[in-house]
Amino acid sequence: MKQEKFSATALLFPSLLMALIVLGYPVLELLNTSTHSVNKFFNVGDFVLFQNYLNLFQDEFFRAALVRTLWWTLGVVGGTVFLSFPIALILNEEFYGQALARTIILLPWAVSLTIMAVVWRWALNGESGLLNLTLQSLGITHDRIQWLAEASTSFPMSILIGVLVSIPFCVTVLLGGLSSLQKDVYEAARVDGATGLLMFRHITLPMMKPFISIAVVLNVIYVFNSFPILWVLTEGGPVNSTDVLVTYLYKATSAKFFGDPGKGAALGIIMLIMLLIFSLVYARVAKEGDEVRA
Amino acid sequence: MLKQVRSVPNTSRRQESLMQSKAFKSVIYWLVLSPIVILTLFPYAVMITTALKPAAEVYSNPPTWFGSHLEWGNFAKVWQLGFGQNMLNSIWVTVAATFLALLVSFPAAYSLSRFNHSRRFTGFYRQFLLVTQMVSPIIITVGIFKVVATLKLIDSFTPLILIYATFNIAFCTWMLQSYFNTIPGELEEAAWIDGCSRFQSFIHIFLPLALPASAIAALFSFIYCWNEFVLAFLVLRTPEHATITMRVFSLVGGRYTVEWEQVMAAAVLATLPMVLMFVFLQRQIIRGLAMGSIK
Repeated sequence: MKQEKFSATALLFPSLLMALIVLGYPVLELLNTSTHSVNKFFNVGDFVLFQNYLNLFQDEFFRAALVRTLWWTLGVVGGTVFLSFPIALILNEEFYGQALARTIILLPWAVSLTIMAVVWRWALNGESGLLNLTLQSLGITHDRIQWLAEASTSFPMSILIGVLVSIPFCVTVLLGGLSSLQKDVYEAARVDGATGLLMFRHITLPMMKPFISIAVVLNVIYVFNSFPILWVLTEGGPVNSTDVLVTYLYKATSAKFFGDPGKGAALGIIMLIMLLIFSLVYARVAKEGDEVRA
Repeated sequence: MLKQVRSVPNTSRRQESLMQSKAFKSVIYWLVLSPIVILTLFPYAVMITTALKPAAEVYSNPPTWFGSHLEWGNFAKVWQLGFGQNMLNSIWVTVAATFLALLVSFPAAYSLSRFNHSRRFTGFYRQFLLVTQMVSPIIITVGIFKVVATLKLIDSFTPLILIYATFNIAFCTWMLQSYFNTIPGELEEAAWIDGCSRFQSFIHIFLPLALPASAIAALFSFIYCWNEFVLAFLVLRTPEHATITMRVFSLVGGRYTVEWEQVMAAAVLATLPMVLMFVFLQRQIIRGLAMGSIK
C-alpha cells in the first residue's frame, strides 16, 4: 500500500517539478523585476516597490490598451463561440463531404498564427491586396480600402481574423462534447414528441454546458494573451490604435520601443492576476449554475 | 420535463423523404457552411497564388489573382536564403520538445488515471495545470529573458525545447488522462491475478492501448512547437538559428519593402508539412480530441 502511494506520487513528480521550475522561476524573476528599477538592458537597480505599477497606470496609452484588450477578448471569444456552435452542430451530422468540411474548418489550426497574419497582412494591402480585388469583382465595394492604415478598419479586421483562427479549437472542443452526448436521450424525447428546437434547448444546450465552459475559459486565456495577429498586422499601430496589453507589454519591454522592462514585468504580473481572477470567478459562476440546475 | 407536443407535423410522405434525404441535407449544410469555408480557404489561395507570381507582377495595379506565368523559381530563391536550415531547426526543436513533453505527461496521466489520489489532490493538480496555461510566453517575457540571459543560453535551442515542452504538459496530461480513463482497468487487474507485476501488465496490456492516444497528444504538441513564434523571437538571434515561423516573420517585420512573392513561398514551405499531416490524420485527430475533451 505504501509502495503504491509512493509510485503514484513519483509518476506525477517530474511534470510538477518541470512546470514549477521552468515556469515558476521566470514568474519569480518577473515579480522581482517588477518591484525594482530596471534599465533598458535589464540591469536591476533599486527596490522601488510599486513604482513601476504606478507608472503603468499613469500612462494613458496603457489605460487605452486595457480597455481595448477587453473589447478584443470579448469580440474574439464571443464571435468564436457564437459561430462555432452551429458549425459544430452541422459537422456532427452525417452528410456528403462531412470529412472534407471538417478538414477545411480545422485547417487554420495547422498553420501558425504568425504566418496566417502575414498572409492576411498582404491580402489586406490597399493597393495590390486580393481582398479589395475580390470585393470589387463581387461588386461589394468600388473603393480601394486601406484596411490596416486606419483604426476604424484595422481593429475590426484583426478581431475578424482572430475569430477565424480561433474557430477550429472551439469547434473541436464542442464536437468532442456533441459526440459524447447519449443518443438514447434524444430517442426518448422523440418518443415523447419533442421537436428539434425543443430538444436543442432542453437537452443539447444543458448537456453541452461543461464543454462550452471549457471552450470559453481556454479561449479567453489564449485570446487575452494572443500576440502574433495584432503584432504582425499593425504592430499596435496606426498610432497605438490597435494596442492591446500584450503588444503594449512587448513595446514596454523592448529596447527598440519604450525600453522599460520594469513596466513590462509589472504588466506581466497584472495580466497574470487578471487571468487568475477571471478563472476563479468563472469557475464559481459555472459551479453555481450547476447547483441551480441540480 | 419536456412539454408534450400534441400532433406530429402534418407533412406528406414525399416531402418528408425529400427533406430528410441525405443529399438535400448535404446541400443545405454546405450552403450554411460556405461563408466560413470561403473565409478559411481565402488566405491559402492568396498564399499560393502570390507564391507563384513573377516578382515584377506582385504589385501590379490593378491587382490580379494570377501572374502571366507560374514562377516556381520563388521557392528556389527562398530555399537559397537558407530556409532548409530553418526547417531543420524547427524539426529539431519540435521533435525534442514533443518527446520531452510526452516523457513527463505520460506518467502523470497514468498516475492520475490509475492510482487512487484523493479527489482534492486530483482537483488541485488539474487546477495547477490550468494555471500553467495562463502563464503564456509573452506575459513572462521579462522573466524568461532574464533567466535565459543569466544562464548564457541566448540563441541556443535548449531553453526553447524546455519551455515548449513545459507549455505542452497541461494539454497532453488532460488529453491522455481522459483517454486512459476509457481503457478498462479490469484488463490489467486480470493480468495481476494471473501473476503479472504492475510493470509487466503496463508494458503488455496498457501501453499498446495507450499508444494511439499518445500519438495524438504528440501531434498537438508538434503543432504548437512548430508554429510558436514569441519565444523563438525572444531567445533566438541569428537567422541561421531561427525557426521557420520566425524566419518568415523576419521577412516582413520592420521592413519597408517586402518581397511578398518570397514571403508567400516561404509561408507555403512552412505550412505544407503541418497541413499534409492534418489532412491525412483528420479522422484520428477528431476522434482523439473527442476522447480528450476535458471532462
